Amino acid sequence: MTDIDDLRSKFLDLEFDRTGFVIDAEQSATVAKASGETRTEFIDPTDPDFEACAPILASLASGRRLPIDFPALGGISMDGGKAVACIKPVRPGIKLTGKTHLHDIYAKSGRSGRMIFLVSRMQLYDDAGEHLATTDSRQVIRERPDQ
Amino acid sequence: MTVQTISDVVFGDEITPWQPDTSLEASRSFAQAVGYSGSGRFEDHEKARAQGLPGALVPGIMGMGFLTSMIHRWAPRGKVKHIDTVFRAPVLADHDHTVTAVVTDIDEENDEVVLDLTIKNAQEETRVFGTATVRFPPAG
Repeated sequence: MTDIDDLRSKFLDLEFDRTGFVIDAEQSATVAKASGETRTEFIDPTDPDFEACAPILASLASGRRLPIDFPALGGISMDGGKAVACIKPVRPGIKLTGKTHLHDIYAKSGRSGRMIFLVSRMQLYDDAGEHLATTDSRQVIRERPDQ
Repeated sequence: MTVQTISDVVFGDEITPWQPDTSLEASRSFAQAVGYSGSGRFEDHEKARAQGLPGALVPGIMGMGFLTSMIHRWAPRGKVKHIDTVFRAPVLADHDHTVTAVVTDIDEENDEVVLDLTIKNAQEETRVFGTATVRFPPAG
């Protein structure tokens, strides 16, 4: 059985990926419209207050999903959820840097066995180093019974 | 019903439930825009079934989009400061779903409101749940 405390002590809060992004205004508007958004600052790129919508921020993927030396846990991996914290408006067209670390590792046990949750946190910065947003990706791994 | 300021918000209030567009066309459009297209999982029922799925899925983060859209309709001047969504089960494209939210906390000192969020299918099964913190413009 995977030792959760050992994983936490070795991997939490260590940056393992740094990736650059530029959000396209039209793509963000398409995402917002497909989601039923009606506010112009999210669906009209000509709006002077236009900003990237939450789901497009959540879609930004780091170059690596886990640290390079993270052990293979086996089992069945699923996308357990996403979170976005908006600190300042993210304007499309600007250079963004996403710095990613493992924010949390925990386990839950149920009738069907144990599930391990890995929360990868990406902090998005602009070129001036200003922190604009944070996204969390929750990966769930259902352990095989023999593990 | 919409709210303009935090003083309009009532603890325990339920935001008017909303049925988002979960059509295959909307799912496909979303998937293409976020780079999830290609496998057919979000774009084609037959291709999704060939992968062992019950049909084409609505991307998980599109559910986040449904929820933020509903919040923005309810609070046209509010800003979603934080939203956390748990993907409990797949949202199937071309199936009716209902998005709901309930006010669970009001922090007048910081002009912030917390909502519990849910996306349910027609069988009333929860597919996505989560929370959001919405910031309102300061009063006055």
